[in-house]
Formats: sequence, C-alpha cells, structure tokens
Amino acid sequence: MKLPRGDTVWGWIMASPAVIGLLLFMVLPFVVAIGLSFTTYRFNSPLPLRWEGLGNYIDLLTSSDFLRAVLNNIMFAAVVVPVQTGLALMLALLVNQRLRGMSVFRTLFFMPVIYPMALVAVVWALIFAPAPTGLMNRIVALFSFGHVQAPIDFLRNGYLAMPCIMVMSIWQGVGFQMVILLAALQGVPETLYEAARIDGAGRVARFRHVTMPQLRNSLIFVAMVTTILAFRLFDQIWILTRGGPNNATTTVLYQAFVASRERNQIGLGAAMAVLFFIFVGVVTLVQHFGVRQHREIQ
Amino acid sequence: MFRIPTRHGKFGRVSNWVFLLIICLVAFSLSGCRDKPDAASEGAEADTGKTVLTAWAHHGKSVEWETLQKQVARFNASQKAFRIELIEIPEADYNTQVQSAAATRELPGILEFDGPMLANYVWKGYLQPLDSLISAEVRSSLLPSIEAQGTYQGRLYAVGVFDSGLALYGNLAQLTAAGIRIPHGIKDAWSVSEFDEILARLSKQGRQNGGHGYALDIKRDYTGEWWTYAFYPALVSGGAQLIDTTDYQSADGVLNSKAAVRTLQYFQRWMKAGYIAPNTDGRAFIDGRVALSWAGHWEYPRYSKALGEKLRLIPLPDFGGGTRTAMGSWCWGITRNCKDSGAAAKFLDFLMSGAEVLAMTEANGAVPGTRTAAEKAQLYRPGGPLRLFVEQLDTCAVPRARTPAYPVITSVFQEAMGDILNGAPVKKTLDRAVRIIDENIEQNEGYPPSGGGK
Amino acid sequence: MSKSIQNRHLLLSYGLLILVALVFVWPLVFMLAASVTPNEQVLARASGLGALLSRDWTWSNYKSVLGQLEFFSFLRNSIFIVGVIVLSGLVVNSMAGYALSRLRWSGREAVLAVVIALMVIPYEALAVPLFFEMTVVGWINSYQVQIVPFIANAFSIYLFYTFFNSIPRELDEAARMDRASPLQTFFHVAAPLARPAFASVAILSFLMNWGVFLWPLMVTRGPGYQPLPVALGYFSANKPVRWGDIMAFGTLMVIPVLMVFLIFQKGFVKGIARTGIKG
Repeated sequence: MKLPRGDTVWGWIMASPAVIGLLLFMVLPFVVAIGLSFTTYRFNSPLPLRWEGLGNYIDLLTSSDFLRAVLNNIMFAAVVVPVQTGLALMLALLVNQRLRGMSVFRTLFFMPVIYPMALVAVVWALIFAPAPTGLMNRIVALFSFGHVQAPIDFLRNGYLAMPCIMVMSIWQGVGFQMVILLAALQGVPETLYEAARIDGAGRVARFRHVTMPQLRNSLIFVAMVTTILAFRLFDQIWILTRGGPNNATTTVLYQAFVASRERNQIGLGAAMAVLFFIFVGVVTLVQHFGVRQHREIQ
Repeated sequence: MFRIPTRHGKFGRVSNWVFLLIICLVAFSLSGCRDKPDAASEGAEADTGKTVLTAWAHHGKSVEWETLQKQVARFNASQKAFRIELIEIPEADYNTQVQSAAATRELPGILEFDGPMLANYVWKGYLQPLDSLISAEVRSSLLPSIEAQGTYQGRLYAVGVFDSGLALYGNLAQLTAAGIRIPHGIKDAWSVSEFDEILARLSKQGRQNGGHGYALDIKRDYTGEWWTYAFYPALVSGGAQLIDTTDYQSADGVLNSKAAVRTLQYFQRWMKAGYIAPNTDGRAFIDGRVALSWAGHWEYPRYSKALGEKLRLIPLPDFGGGTRTAMGSWCWGITRNCKDSGAAAKFLDFLMSGAEVLAMTEANGAVPGTRTAAEKAQLYRPGGPLRLFVEQLDTCAVPRARTPAYPVITSVFQEAMGDILNGAPVKKTLDRAVRIIDENIEQNEGYPPSGGGK
Repeated sequence: MSKSIQNRHLLLSYGLLILVALVFVWPLVFMLAASVTPNEQVLARASGLGALLSRDWTWSNYKSVLGQLEFFSFLRNSIFIVGVIVLSGLVVNSMAGYALSRLRWSGREAVLAVVIALMVIPYEALAVPLFFEMTVVGWINSYQVQIVPFIANAFSIYLFYTFFNSIPRELDEAARMDRASPLQTFFHVAAPLARPAFASVAILSFLMNWGVFLWPLMVTRGPGYQPLPVALGYFSANKPVRWGDIMAFGTLMVIPVLMVFLIFQKGFVKGIARTGIKG
C-alpha cells in the first residue's frame, strides 16, 4: 500500500530520543572500549598507557582458558536455548487458560526471575549440597535405590557442574520468556480462534494454524533473547562455581569479569567484550535477518 | 478527528496516570535532594567554622559500626578546630568504591581499608606515610603484626585497631576419645604427619560412631579471600611462598616449588580421603560432625557457646618449618587528598589509644592491635581463652604478600586452591597460577616504585 | 464436550500447575521462613525440609536489618531511580519500536541493525568508559547518573518492534489515511493496542534495573544516592554469614517487585482482547 510522505522525518523524530540515548550511553562508550582493547589500560595505574595493537587479541585467541570459555558458552547455548524456549511456551500455554486462580500461578511461575541473587545462591547451594542430606543427593539416592555412591559433590564435579548450571539457569530464566510469550498469546485476536472453530478445527489444529503463526515473532524474539542471555552467562557461575572445577564452567563473561575486576586488566577485558560482541552479534543478526527474509519469501 | 473514541479515551486515562506518576517521582526526588551530604567534600563548615575531615569506614558487623560511630562522636566532642564526618561504605564492595573514588580524585582524607590492599594503594599513590604523623607512643605500642601489615618499602602507611587470628578449634571430647595429644602452644604444634594420622583416626572414629567420617572443617562454605588468608600460612610453613619475597618480581620456583606442591597435596589427599566436611550449613563443628575446625577468631563466640569447656584452641599444623598463621584486618590510613594531615593523625592516635582499642575489640571480639590493650582484654590477656592468637601474632604470623600485585595473586591463588581441592593435578595448577602472576607483574613493568603517581 | 472430560481436563491442568508452582515457589517459601528463623539455625534447618517452619520464629532479623541501615532511604532511592527509568523508558522505547516497525524511513534498517547489535553488548564492557563519560559530565554521586544512561534500551525497543509487527496494521493505517500524523497514530491507536507489550517491558525493565549494583558502586560516594542492592553489602560480608538477616532483606526487597508485577500483569489480561478490537 501507499504510505503517506514525511515518514522519514517522523521516523527520525520518533526514534531520536532512543537513538540519541543509545548513541551517547552505549555506542560511544563501546567505541571507547574498543579503543581500550588495543591498550594496556588499567584502572588508576600510575604506569603510562601503552599501545598494544592486537596484543590483547592474540593473547586471547591463544589462551586455552579463553577458548575453553567460548566452548562452554556454545555448549550452554546449544542446550539451554531450545529447552528453555520450549518450556516457556508450554508454561505460557498453561497459564493462558481461562481458569480460576490463573493470575496466582502466573505470578508464582515468574517468581524465580525476581529472586535476589543471594537467595538463589544459597537455595541452590543447598539443593546441590554435597552432603547426604542435600536435596539433589536425596533424589539421586531415592531413584538409584542406593546404587549411586552418595554424596555426590555436584558443583565440584567436572562432568556434572555444567549440567547443574543449566538446570538452574532454565529454572531461573523460564519465567521471563513465559511473560513475553504470554503477552503475545494474549495478543492473538479471539476472532481468529472463533473463525478456526467455525471451520471445525480441533485443539491441535488451532494451535498449529492459529497460535503458532501468531506467536512467530515473539518466539523468534524469545529465542534470540535467550541466545544472547545464554552467551551472557555469568551470575550463576559467579555464585555457584566461580568457573570451576578446573574451568569446567568458565564463560567468556566470567573471564572478562576476572580480567577487568579482579586483575585490573581493563584492556584485556575490553578485548574479550569486543570478541564476544562480534561473535554473538553475528549470530543474532543472522538469526534476525535470516528469519525475516524467510518470511518475506513465504 | 479519530473514529475510535473508546480507545482514545482509554489511552487518555492511562497517560494521565503515567504523567501523574512522573510528576510525583520528580517532586519526591527534589524533596530528597537537598539534605544529601556531599560525601567527598572537605573543608570549612560555614556555621561552626570547624574544618571537616571525611573518613570512610567499612560497615559490616553492626556492633563494629555502632562502636565506631560512638568513637567518632567522642572524638568530635573533644575537638574544637575540626570535626570528623564518617561515611559508611558497605564492606562487601569496599575496594570497588575506593578505586572508583580514586579515579575521580574523590577519596576521603581518612580511609579505612583491608590490610592486604595496602601495597596496591600505596603504589597507586592513594596514601601518605604516617611515620612523621602519628605519635611515637602509639607507634611503639603496636603489635608486631600490625606494624608489619602497615609497612610497605620501609614506611608505615596504616595502623590497625585490631588484628585477626587463625587457628584450629578442637572438640576436646572427641579428641581425647580418640586418644589424641593436645598441643599446649606454638612450640609443640602437631607436625603434618601427626596431623595426617590424627585425621585418619578421627575419621575412623566418626565412622564407627555412625557418622560420615568427616574430621576437619576448613570452611568450604566460604568464598573469596578466605582461601588465601587461611592457607598461605600452610604454604609458608611448608617452605614455600605466594611470591619470591626478595624482590616480588616472580612467583616461579616459589609458588610452584616442590615444597608448595607437597604442602597442597596434603589438602588434596585429605579431601579425597573424605576427611574434610562440606560444611554447607556452616555447622559441621558446632553439631559435632567434625572434631577440628580451621577457622578465624570470629568463630569463637559461636563455638564457645556450643562447646563450652570442651573447646580448645590449637595452633595450625606444622608443615615442616614450624607452625605459621595468618594476620591482617582492617586498618586506617591518611590519603594524599587529606586537607589537614595533622588533624587526621590526631584521629588515628585517638582510635589507637588504649581505651578506644579496648572499646572496639570488646565489641567485635577481634585481637587488640596494641600490646597494652591486648594485656587488658578479657579474651586475650595472659590466661585468656584466646591468648594463643596474641602469641601467634607475636611470633609466627606471616603477612600476605606485600606487593601491589596482591589482588591478582590472591585471585589466582583462590582459584588454584579450589581446583586443587577438586582434584586437579597440583603441580600443573600451580604452574598455571605462576604463569598468570608473572605475566601480570611483567605487564605492570614489575610494579616500579611510583613515588605517588597521580 | 462432555462434563467428565472437561472435569478431567480441569484436574489435569490444576495438577500440572500446582506441581510446576511448587518447583518455582519453594525458594520463596524458604526465604520467608528463613527470614523469621534465628540466624544460626537457617542453613541447619534447610536440609531437613519443613524444619524451617518451627515454633521459635522471630522478627529479630527484620529488626536487625531495619535497625542497621536506613532501609527506607535506600528503598526511596531505588523506587525513584527505577521508576523514572521504567516510565520514561516506556515512552522513549515504544516510540522507537513503533517507528522501526511501522514507518518507512531512510535509516530504518541501519537503526534496526544497531539496536539488535546493541542488545549483544555486555554491559560490563561499558562500565569503565561510561564511568569516565559521567565524570566528564560531572554527574558522579547523583540520581541522573543512575537514570539517564539507562532509559533508552535496545531490548525494550526490540520487544516493542516485535510486538508492533505482530498486531494488525489495518487500524493505524486507517488512522493514517485520516491524515493523522504518525505520532498521533502511535499515541491514540497503536499504543493502546500494545498494552501487553507495555506491561511486559515495564516488568522486565523494572527487574533489570532493580537488582543493579555494580554501577551505583562506581558512581556514588556514600549512601545518599545508593539504591537497595548496595545496602546488602552492609551485612553480606559478615562472618559467620547471617543468613536470617540476608533473607529478611531479600524479602523486603522482593515485595516491591512483586507489587509491580501484580500491577502490570493486569495489563496482559486487559490486553488486546478488551480494547474493542474483539468481534
């Protein structure tokens, strides 16, 4: 269809407050951060600033710690993104039913997202406690009928630590995705369902042909955000494992945190952030534009 | 103009609410703005003509904070020319606040900080030497550990009102039941091989009594600085160090030496053998699940309440070179930002006076930082239940590496301790730690003396 | 549908809901119970399920938290900072999302790409440069330093963009045909339709900003302008850890979030279905 003229002016006017904010408080600092990544910059150091060129980048790409972190991030995202998005959809459908008390359940499912970190930390440390009284150890003992030698030290076991982090992350994050999908579900016009019902479509058919297409954008959004958040994995690591045991749960942002906050290597930390940005940025842009073109072809 | 009046009306109402909310928030903030003290400002106060000196202190234990507030009030009441303005900084993130304030040159005149950070702060030019500022009387009364902690490159930069103590707490009932010799003091501390045997015996006894066979609590529930604080003394006792202390230029051949590997292998073995309790709930010792707890002075009130007469304080095991223990705690310095160093030093002298040291340490239970106060304190005087801590600080306490690289060293060592306890090969783990530390020192050009810097 | 099938379905739904709710809610129960348990006992009782809810409960943890710090001053700072970020963020970001979704303008693709790319930037990477930017501006130790940089938010813009993409274009195009300007169309037609999106952005951006504590640590000097999460540092470093106090503080900190969630989640329910588009 034909669009009124002057869209360019209006487009810029309406977008400008946000665009200016983003430019000043994200783009500009990030450009500075890119600059810092080529230097030896350290907070408050009395030493003169030195130009490192690509030194920081070369250090990173040859560091086994950093490469392990990248690998861990990819592994984590590969498991958590599909599982969490799927679960979020199921939960959203569950609480979108017209039943009594649904707002209570909706609130309860969302709860983990709002818990303070200190609480989440202590609760999960207790769940995974390496004592026979630990909840997870009890569950393992119950289902293995005593065959597994208890107690297992889940968070300090090289093979189990990452899966434990995944479980906790999904538990904590799924409510966030649920809320977004729920908003989208609420946004599906009732008329579409009525029309489908009149056409004799059953529950499953309605889900496939009405709900799913309508949720498409939101699902893409959710998957994208989950991907980004998965790559940003840090809090859980900091609280539960500090990257251990032996780097089994280290991540790029954990490494960046250690470099810039604990070791005052701001330059190196910035270089990690830049590499992270390039990598995840490419993944995200491909996801966004790839998916959109697909729709246009349809 | 629009043919969708209902929606128009609805949105109108919503935006009114939002608008009202914004107005309220703005009004609310303006009302709160006026009485905010400017934390960084120092100088003359208009109404009283007194010079105002800002002091930053950590707010952790509430009794500690309340005591300090009272001390400052007492001091201010006694002074005519100036006044101390006390600013509370959350203990958990203290260093972040200091580093940020330093970056904008907003450090207060008087700064409390955690002892091991001293060399780093001096190197960055935050602090000024106290040698010519504090009174000779205070200086001569300092515990040797306080003096050692406050000294960097031959000059005194900080004084501590109190120090810390680290030792083993023993459950006398369980120890005697297992027929274990109880050391009387530093001289007859358990040797590590004896300790090894003791753990095995206690573990066996625990299992026979239907327990899980844990014998030792090393506070596995703690994170962070504890892991350096509590275990570098073992390293030193075993003949190693965190870094070569002759010139502080490398950790190679020191932190990854045979002595270091041998010492830390003991911990790994005790871990593997199941002697070390997970202590997730922090009550392994109190509930009698272990007979020994490797812990700081701050556990005394809790432990003595739970065990009463059965509680014994025992020196840490001797890993070869005689028992060693940790030291260090919060201390006070004067920054280069200070408008009136003489006045600031008066405040420090006041805090270090006998009565004030006692007032503080009676409140927080820590080891008094001056000899005179230590002789008077209930817990620490000769014959007091915690006298061992004072004796240790006099003879066998070692400071954490006094170098600007300390923040890196501790971060790396904490990680290495964790990995080693989790079963990582000790030598390889320490080699990696050494590599990171040495890289850091090299990147900082060996931390050359800066003469104050910025 | 027969009555019995309907009942069975209902039973199944509720069973599932309750089961899932238990998994998600037990930390809250734990927190509430622990907040009235003596500090000493919290972790000891946590391993024996149910033991937490014992008879010797006490308000002393709350008293100690409220007595130890000026809780309400921190709370006021938090509410003000987060409130302004959320409300002004809703306006600024929704307009941008609308412009990106509905208007054809040169620069649109570029702005969209930048927004998506910015979602990826880890905030930690910006902290130091942004800190120096704020130093230059002279905003250290103030409210605005904790507010202004966080109003425009790439996530929120993208969420609005996605949402506007998914609602039918016919209505606002009709308004545009009536020669309403895009701004008028946005305020009078599109925004009311996007209530669920406003509600979820409000909740999410509230959450994102409610827990922030690294930034305030860097840009504030002393408690005057500090928000709640910083206050936790006053007693979280205590040894032995006072879990009862921490849980009491956690409870006090969660209550406002819960209130915001309850207020805005009505926005979902009253979303599009009731704004007149139905039928």
